[in-house]
Parts: sequence; C-alpha cells; structure tokens
Amino acid sequence: MSNEVEDTLKRIQSHKGVVGTIVVNSEGIPIKTTLDNTTTVQYAGLISALADKARSVVRDLDPSNDLTFLRIRSKKNEIMVAPDKEFILIVVQNPTD
Amino acid sequence: MMSDRKAELERKKAKLQALREEKDRRRREKELKDVEEATSRVLGSAGDRKELDEMLSSLGVAPVSDILSSLSSANSLTPDNSINHTPDTSLQSNGLVNNVYTGKRKTPQLSVVAVQSTSIPPKEIVSYTKQTQTTPSGHERDAHATDYYDEYNLNPGLEWEDEFTVLTYDDGQGEDEEGSLPHLGGFGSKLPPGILPHGLPQVKEVQPAVTAVEQEQAKQEIKEIRELSEEEKQMIILSEDFQRFVDRAGKIVERALGESVDIYTDYIGGAGEDGIDEKSHQRIALNRWFYDERWSKNRCVTSLDWCPQYPELLLASYNNNEDSPNDPDGVALIWNTKFKKTTPEFIFHCQSGVMSATFARFHPNLILGGTYSGQIVLWDNRVQKRTPIQRTPLSATAHTHPVYCVNVVGTQNAHNLISISTDGRLCSWSLDMLSQPQETLELHRMQSKPVAVTCLDFPHSDVNNFVVGSEEGAAYSACRHGAKAGIVDTYDGHQGPITGIGVNAVQGGIDFSHLFLTSAIDWSMKLWSLKDAKPIYSFEDNSDYVLDVAWSPTHPALFAAVDCGGRLDLWNLNQDTEVPAASIYVEGNPGLNKVSWTPSGLHVTVGDNQGKIWVYDVAENFAHPRHDEWNKFLYTIQELRNSQVDEELEKLNLSVSSTPLSSMTSLSLPPLR
Repeated sequence: MSNEVEDTLKRIQSHKGVVGTIVVNSEGIPIKTTLDNTTTVQYAGLISALADKARSVVRDLDPSNDLTFLRIRSKKNEIMVAPDKEFILIVVQNPTD
Repeated sequence: MMSDRKAELERKKAKLQALREEKDRRRREKELKDVEEATSRVLGSAGDRKELDEMLSSLGVAPVSDILSSLSSANSLTPDNSINHTPDTSLQSNGLVNNVYTGKRKTPQLSVVAVQSTSIPPKEIVSYTKQTQTTPSGHERDAHATDYYDEYNLNPGLEWEDEFTVLTYDDGQGEDEEGSLPHLGGFGSKLPPGILPHGLPQVKEVQPAVTAVEQEQAKQEIKEIRELSEEEKQMIILSEDFQRFVDRAGKIVERALGESVDIYTDYIGGAGEDGIDEKSHQRIALNRWFYDERWSKNRCVTSLDWCPQYPELLLASYNNNEDSPNDPDGVALIWNTKFKKTTPEFIFHCQSGVMSATFARFHPNLILGGTYSGQIVLWDNRVQKRTPIQRTPLSATAHTHPVYCVNVVGTQNAHNLISISTDGRLCSWSLDMLSQPQETLELHRMQSKPVAVTCLDFPHSDVNNFVVGSEEGAAYSACRHGAKAGIVDTYDGHQGPITGIGVNAVQGGIDFSHLFLTSAIDWSMKLWSLKDAKPIYSFEDNSDYVLDVAWSPTHPALFAAVDCGGRLDLWNLNQDTEVPAASIYVEGNPGLNKVSWTPSGLHVTVGDNQGKIWVYDVAENFAHPRHDEWNKFLYTIQELRNSQVDEELEKLNLSVSSTPLSSMTSLSLPPLR
C-alpha cells in the first residue's frame, strides 16, 4: 500500500511546474519531502503555522466551518496546502512554467 | 486675758484671710480679662482673612494661599520656553539644559502645554534617533532590538509604516510613552508633559508582538525534527491514516494542479487568440485523452459508462495486457472529465479481464464488472482497496462464460443487475445478494441453439424488453418476463458478428425507441425498427470492421460510430444518410473498440485497443437538435423506407426481366409502383 503513497507523490511531483512536495504532520515535522533539508524545514514550520492560523480564522468566523484547502499565490510561485486532521500536504508549483 | 488674746488672734487671722482672698480674686479677674482680650483679637483678624478670600474668589482670582505655588511654577517655565524656540539643538544639549531644571517640578500638568503648541513642521532632513521601545527588563530587549534590525536589513522590502510607529506631537500618547520609555533618559519623565526635549518627532520601532512566540516555535521545531527518526517516519508512512490522507489530499492537489486557468489574465494587454475561432468551425475536435502508463497501457477498452450522480465521471473497463502477465488481467478505471488532472480518479482491478462494467446507478459508490471468467465483481470506492469487495460464484447457477454485457435496470426501490454471458444465459441479480442470481433465463434461437450475446441495450426506462446482438450476425429482441420470456424476434441482415447495438433513447415529442442500430464485423451498420424483420437502412461507408455505434443522448438523428481503422464518424440522418456528417481519424489509427457520448451530448469518448480513451468535442450547433429535428427525422425514416421498397422492387424487376416471360409482363409493372 505504501507504493500507492509513493505513486501519488510521484505523480504530483511529475506534474508540470511542480517544484516540491512535502508532507508534514500536525506538529510541523516533515515526513516526506522532495526538497532539500533546509527548505523543507523552513516550509514545514512556516506553512503549518500558517495553516493552523488559517484554520483558526475559519473556525472563529463560523464554528461549524473548517479549513479544507489553502492556496497562496505569489509573484514567483504558488503554494498549495491541503490540510487534514493529522497531516498537511504542501505542493509548491511554478505556474508560469 | 487669754480669751482676749485669742479673740484678737482670731480677728487678725480672719483679716489676713480676707486680704488673701481679695488678692486671689483680683488676679483671676485679670487673667480672665486677658484671655478674653486675646481671643477677641484673634477672632477678629481671622474673620478679616476669610472675608478677603471670599472677595477674591468671587472676583475669579486664586486664593491667597495658592499664590506662592503658582509663582514657583512660573519660575520653572521660563527657561523651557527658550528651549522650545530652538528646535535644532541636539538631544545631548537638551539633556544638559533640562537636567538643570529637573526636580523643580514633580507633577506634570497638561494645562500648561497648550501654550507651547508652536507646531513647527518637522523638517525632512531630520536625523532620526531610533531607539527601541522597551519593557523594564532592559537587557533582554536590547538583544531583540538588534535581531530585529538584522531582519530589517535582510528584507529591505519591509515598509516603514508597517513596522514602526511614528509618534508626533499631537499624538496624545505622551503620558504613556514616558512611562514606557525609561531608556529615553531620566529627563523625559521629569519634563512637563507634552513638552518634548527637542522639536523633532521621536521615532521608535515597535516590535511585532509575535516575534518572541515565533522564535520559541522555531526552536521547538528544530528540536522536534531531531526527535523524529527514519523508523518513526516509516511507521507514519505505513499507517493507514497517512495513506488515506495522501490518497485524498493527493487527489485534491492534482485537480488543483490541473487547473491551468490563469486568474490573472490581462485582457487589456493581451492579444486575442485565434485558436478558438478555428475550432468553432469544426464539428468535431480532440479535447483530451485518458491514459495511464501502468494500468491502461496495451489494454483494450472493453466498455465505457457514465456515472448518473456525477456526470463527469467516466468508468472504463480494460482487458488484459499481454506484455505484463504479472499484473491483474482486469482493470476498471474511473476518469474525471471535469478536472484536467491526467490520472484516474479511482483504480480497480481483478484477476480476470473485465469485459463490461457499469456504475451501480442507484449506489454512487459501487461499480460492477462482468469478467471473462463469468464472474460478476463488485468494487466499492469508499474502501481503500482496489480489488473487488464481492464477486459472484463460478457455478452452474450463474455464468460460466464471458460476460460481455452488464446493465442495471429498474428504479431506486426495485432494480436489478442484468448480465448476459456468451452461452446465452441471462441472470438478474440483487445487489444485496451476489451469491446467487434472483432469476436466470436462457436465450435460445428456434432450434434451441444458444445465442452468443455480444451486446445488449435496454430502451429508455424499460425493464422488461431489450435487444441483443450476437456472434451469429443476428440481432434479437427479447423480454425477461411474461409468457414469452426469452427471444421474441430475430433481425437477420448482418454477414458477421454484431459488435455494437444501440436503441434510440432521445426524449422528445416523438418516440423513436423502436429504432435501433447495429454495427458489425461486415463493415456495415444497420438501422432497424423493432416492427420490421428487415433493416430500414444499411450504412456502408466504412472500409473496416465497425466495432461500435452509439446514439446521441440529445439529438434524435445523430449517432457516432467507430471502426477498426481508427475512424470516428458522426452521422446526422437528417442531413445525409449516404456519408457521415463529420469524420475524424484518431491519431495513430488505433482500432477503436468502444464509443460513448457524455450525458450532455457535447462530447464523444472513444476507447481504443491500446488503452487510450479519446475525448472529442462536438460543436454545439451540431450536437444540439433544433426543435423540428423530430419531425424531420420521422420524414427521413419514411424516405428511407420508401427507397428500400423501391430498391426491392427494382431487384424484383431485374430478376423478372431476366426471365423470358418478363418481356410479356413488363408492361403491367408500372402500376405496381
């Protein structure tokens, strides 16, 4: 079954424009990554903090609501964040490619 | 004598006593008088003061007792005035000057300040003295301040306004600041409020409130990362939760990645695209294809079906891949036509090649497949399992031959799965119980020869009557129930095995559900009516095996056909019956095994024998019927019938004229026409 995990991540990574894929747990610790160590740690810490904040914003606005997806569009790239209860999938892509 | 003396003595004593008493009385009287005088004098002067104070206050002047203090404050103010008139003096000199006067005043009074508001606009050449706003714990904060500067230097893009609070005279925060700025120097707090030591706005940066927390977090993270070993990571990766998460999140991200729409499209600067216009002229154009290197490569597409609940989902079943004998023979993939992601939404497989597959229609999560072995398999997309969750037994009560057709018919409350194998056995199943069929029916020809069924179709919303195509080249109509359960009518005409069959299912003013099409190995397609044993028309434009045919779900006279040479044809019988209205060769000319319309009628999907599914756009004006198409189609059918009669008569005529007698009877023929 772990092959499927690998397959899925490989598929995402092979997508045109994708720079990196990171899976982190709820504490912001990277579990799987395709980026180098420093970048991964940086992304994992910052994005998980941002996702937590975004989730609390969504929940504060409406307690019955929850965060499902987070896209950060910047001049240089786009960060897609798919958060879950226990894990967060982070995909960095270069949309201009 | 004695007594005289005594008396004399007594008298003298009394006299003395009287004198003493007299003296005492006088002294007491004097004292009293003194006291009276003194009090009267004191009382009189106090009353005067009071009177004076009352007079003064009634006139609006401060009481005499306050005069002294006001005088002293006036003294302390005079030097400050001089300072404020020289705003360019530096901080140090100010400090010196001010230090001289510190201690003279203890309580700052706002009322005085108003006079000093000679608001001289701060000059822009100002040399800012930046100082940290600090909390009483000075040492630690200093470290932070330098950190902060580092950050600022690293990110020159940071805006001043975002990070610093610029305070000016009229901020009215003077009091608070002085309290919170012991580092500004002792003089600051001693000054009268509102009078700043120099005439310049004081700039202080305010540290973002979160920094400390973030730094803490960062430290924590670094620690925790070290705690997680490779083994622990592997444990997490192997956990079911993690796999489920990756499966779900991966799908979402892939969809998101597939969206190539640029939301920043600039219509002002951009040039118009010509491609769109070009496309609109075409009646049929390639949109995309579905292909999976691992699961569909070299596998022939054996069936296509659309999800009733989610019309964008396409179910495709695949036969075995001869090149990879280790992979499962049968594969069923669910593709998503809505998103541009290029990978299947769901992957299912089983041990035997899947010859036909269908959505369970009233159960959006269930997928049914008919296999080459004769088993019916059931997959569920809710479980993390690609293999079937249920399968029917391989026994004489069910199928023992390949199942080329499965179909779910009925209503939400009463529906069955119908499956037919090539030995002519029809089984109907309840989805709740796949251990044995609810009923079976043998499809036989006249001489009790079983019908090798290759394709099946039910007219729209019919559960009893259906049509099948067979390997013998004949099509049959049949029914499941009633006195004549089994084959009802035979439609002979094709010279080879029938590959595809389709009943006209367009809803509209006129019912055409008696019309059906067949495609066959004999390079032809035929249009039939259930009421006629002979075909209404035969389409013979193809020069290869015609492998499938499908009516448009929206246009009564439109259908698609595919052949083994890689050609996809769209026929519009209202426009032309001789040649297809649109025709396209699929890239690489693969054998096209299956064709299917999207429920919208705007796309045609074609499955080939290499494992690719091609999606073609059909031009809207071509796919959508005009309101008169139904009547027109009725007329077309009538025309076709008439010409068929003409042909037969001509044939008859020819055969008759070939006989010697014909010359005599030929005159009588014209009236027959």
